[in-house]
Amino acid sequence: MQKRRCDHCHLEYDEKVLIEDGGKYFCCKGCQGIYHLLRDEGLDNFYEKMGEHTIEPPKTLHDDINKFDLDGFVKKYIKEKGGFSSISLIIDGIHCAACIWLNEKVLHKTKGVVEVSINHTSNKAKILWDSDTIKLSEIIQIIRNIGYNAYPYDPSMQEEQANARRKDYYSRLLVGVFCTMNIMWIAIAQYGGYFTGMRTDIKNILNFAEFILATPALFYTGGVFFKGTYYGLKNKFVNMDLLVASGALSAYLFSIYVMFSGHGEVYFDSVAMIVTFVFAGKYLEVLTKKKAVDTLDSFSSSLPSEVTLVRESEKFLVGVEAVEVGDVIELRAGEKVVIDGVVISGEGSFDNSSLTGESVPVLLQNGDKILSGSICVDSVIRYTASHLYASSMLSKIVALLEDSMDKKPRIEQLANSISGYFSTAILVLAILTFAGWYFHTHSFEQALIISISVIVIACPCALGLATPVATLVGISRASKKGILFKEATFLESVAACSTVVLDKTGTITNGKPKVVDSTIRENFDKSILYSLVSLSSHPVSQGVKEFLKELKLKIVDLEKVKIVEAKGIKATYKGKQILAGNGNFMRENSVTCNDNSDFLSELHVAYDAVLVASFYLEDKPRIGAKGTISYLKNSGLRVIMLSGDNERVAKKIAEEVGIEEFEASLLPQDKAKYIEDIRSAGQRVVMVGDGINDTLALSCSEVAITLGSGTDVAVNVSDIVLMNDSFEGLKTVFEVSKNTFRIVKQNLAFSVLYNVITIPLAMSGHVIPLVAALSMSLSSLIVVGNSMRIK
Amino acid sequence: MDSWVIAMMLGASTLLGALGLWALLWGLKTGQFEDTKKFLDMTSFDGEEALHDAIAMEKKKKEIMKRKKKKADDGYRPPD
Repeated sequence: MQKRRCDHCHLEYDEKVLIEDGGKYFCCKGCQGIYHLLRDEGLDNFYEKMGEHTIEPPKTLHDDINKFDLDGFVKKYIKEKGGFSSISLIIDGIHCAACIWLNEKVLHKTKGVVEVSINHTSNKAKILWDSDTIKLSEIIQIIRNIGYNAYPYDPSMQEEQANARRKDYYSRLLVGVFCTMNIMWIAIAQYGGYFTGMRTDIKNILNFAEFILATPALFYTGGVFFKGTYYGLKNKFVNMDLLVASGALSAYLFSIYVMFSGHGEVYFDSVAMIVTFVFAGKYLEVLTKKKAVDTLDSFSSSLPSEVTLVRESEKFLVGVEAVEVGDVIELRAGEKVVIDGVVISGEGSFDNSSLTGESVPVLLQNGDKILSGSICVDSVIRYTASHLYASSMLSKIVALLEDSMDKKPRIEQLANSISGYFSTAILVLAILTFAGWYFHTHSFEQALIISISVIVIACPCALGLATPVATLVGISRASKKGILFKEATFLESVAACSTVVLDKTGTITNGKPKVVDSTIRENFDKSILYSLVSLSSHPVSQGVKEFLKELKLKIVDLEKVKIVEAKGIKATYKGKQILAGNGNFMRENSVTCNDNSDFLSELHVAYDAVLVASFYLEDKPRIGAKGTISYLKNSGLRVIMLSGDNERVAKKIAEEVGIEEFEASLLPQDKAKYIEDIRSAGQRVVMVGDGINDTLALSCSEVAITLGSGTDVAVNVSDIVLMNDSFEGLKTVFEVSKNTFRIVKQNLAFSVLYNVITIPLAMSGHVIPLVAALSMSLSSLIVVGNSMRIK
Repeated sequence: MDSWVIAMMLGASTLLGALGLWALLWGLKTGQFEDTKKFLDMTSFDGEEALHDAIAMEKKKKEIMKRKKKKADDGYRPPD
């Protein structure tokens, strides 16, 4: 049969099914309609621009388009901008640059629309229009008419904020880097001049140039530190920001004084350096947060936005928000459930793995509850909605995640509390020094120079470097071993934790059942078996398929294949019936077989009513799980396993890997609550998980660790990712963290010692600038050198 | 070397650098780097037509603004 392309969507079909229309061929009325519309509008060069790309044929949507003009909707999504209305939309169905061109072009031609910009990277569009000339529903109808769909999103929530913040921080960083780089050029000349001598007028010019460059670095880039200090002081809390701000500001003021008086050396280079380096760390933090928001957005937009509703034996697609409690929804194989409900007709197996982590699909039938987030694996069922979209499980999880992103606990207490006390102490000492010298010598100038030199010499160089350099080395060492720390502070956090909570499915175990025992009773052609299990996507079938794959079997043609939900498969081969399924399925088809285990999944195969093979499968713990867990226990950590699976399976795995404490049959919220409970009992918790079902628990813990193969959302809410996907990486995490934490403590001890010696010297007026500069650099060098010892 | 030479060289180079920095910041602020895909893929559709469209949109916007203003002016009644 000859294949031919549809002239609109470019997908290939048999020529017979295509609609012929004046020498052009279309796969459906929708494509035909759009083709004519574009030609009438003079936009048919779209096809030229589209080239070899294909697009989706248009879908007929039956939801009420007038909902876009309702008051509640307008209030939520539409904003006023200079007398015009503005909305952010996500445009569905964009595949290539030509699609962008077409959408923009059509909207340009629309009366009343005054601004359109579609982002090709994210498919998000911003439209500005005059609401007196055209209604939003009409604009959306126009987009639908050309075969795309648009739905609004609220950018003000997460995305816009994160974006604006990232942009702002990036600009600040650029200014800081620019100023610091240029100051360093000038500072090199200054250093040279210090040792070989320099004319006063030239020195003044250099001082002034440094002053010009240090000012934006301190007040624009360093603005966040002043803000942090202000909010800290307002809440009666002395933080690292205060130290950076006061150190940089006092060095800056001192340098201005030196610049005008001509006595001593300026420290503008230190000002710019301190501010820029500490700021760079802050910027990285903002960057990771932006990424997390991005995935969350794409996660919620990957959810189906429409469901099939059945009303008076008619089916139509309706937006999820329009579904009311009691509506009858039809679900087909492969569809994701977005609204909770109760089954009223049909039965089918559901993959709950994204909610419970349970690897085996469950069979739901009349009267059973369906939770949103599960996926219908086979068959068609109908159910009544028991909740609205907004109060369904999946929406709740997404909402909780959005909340938790802002509430993530951070422990930086040791470094922060020390530097907090430290900066308070230095400020007090500087004031005392000033007062002492003023009363002693009655010279305001001398008292000021000495008191400021106290702050300058104690300037957070060594103390400020103590933590970041050690953690930086720790992070790069970890990344070489395939472990990604999203933020440096988690190295400290992990070392301070007392409890490790592990998820079972996919974390301790592989998440894919493997054949542990098999009997193939008669000399049976295994290719038939292989072909049969290849037909089903059920994890058990897949496990058996993997097992048989090694034998390099070929696929044979089976006939009359029928998949019986959650039970097994039927087929015929050369006129004889083959059955493959669990024990119940066999008994139902009057084949005798015995179940021999409580915790093994099984697959029996009967050929012509005779049992020919049995496979027993088990979800095995990952390689090295036992060793890693015993390492964790030996280092004094409390290890707990949480599982969505049933008690028996959980117990068996726990015993196998040597975990005494475990909880079974937990839903995502239960896991999160469990973690909150042990945290409120004073424990600090590291959570290790992999799936969407773990994300809530992950975001509740002090430190969240995900395996690299985990779902996107899980990877993004977590703080540490084991990129090499090996459970043994967990051991490395703890080793590197403990090592780093030890070095951090040494560094802090050293810098405190350094300050204890140098500050009294400075207070007594014995420190000349050269000594101050040298000792500052030396102390930093020692801290850096010590940090390099982290393995 | 006279000190004014140093001053001038420092001033000129810093100013030039600052100009570059300003251009970069302007680009960031106006979102020039936000849509990399469009930047790369849409260049082939770039042409006079896009400019005509932009002008037409500007005109449309101005007309609506004018109409709105007129309406607002007409609607104004001084208090009795």
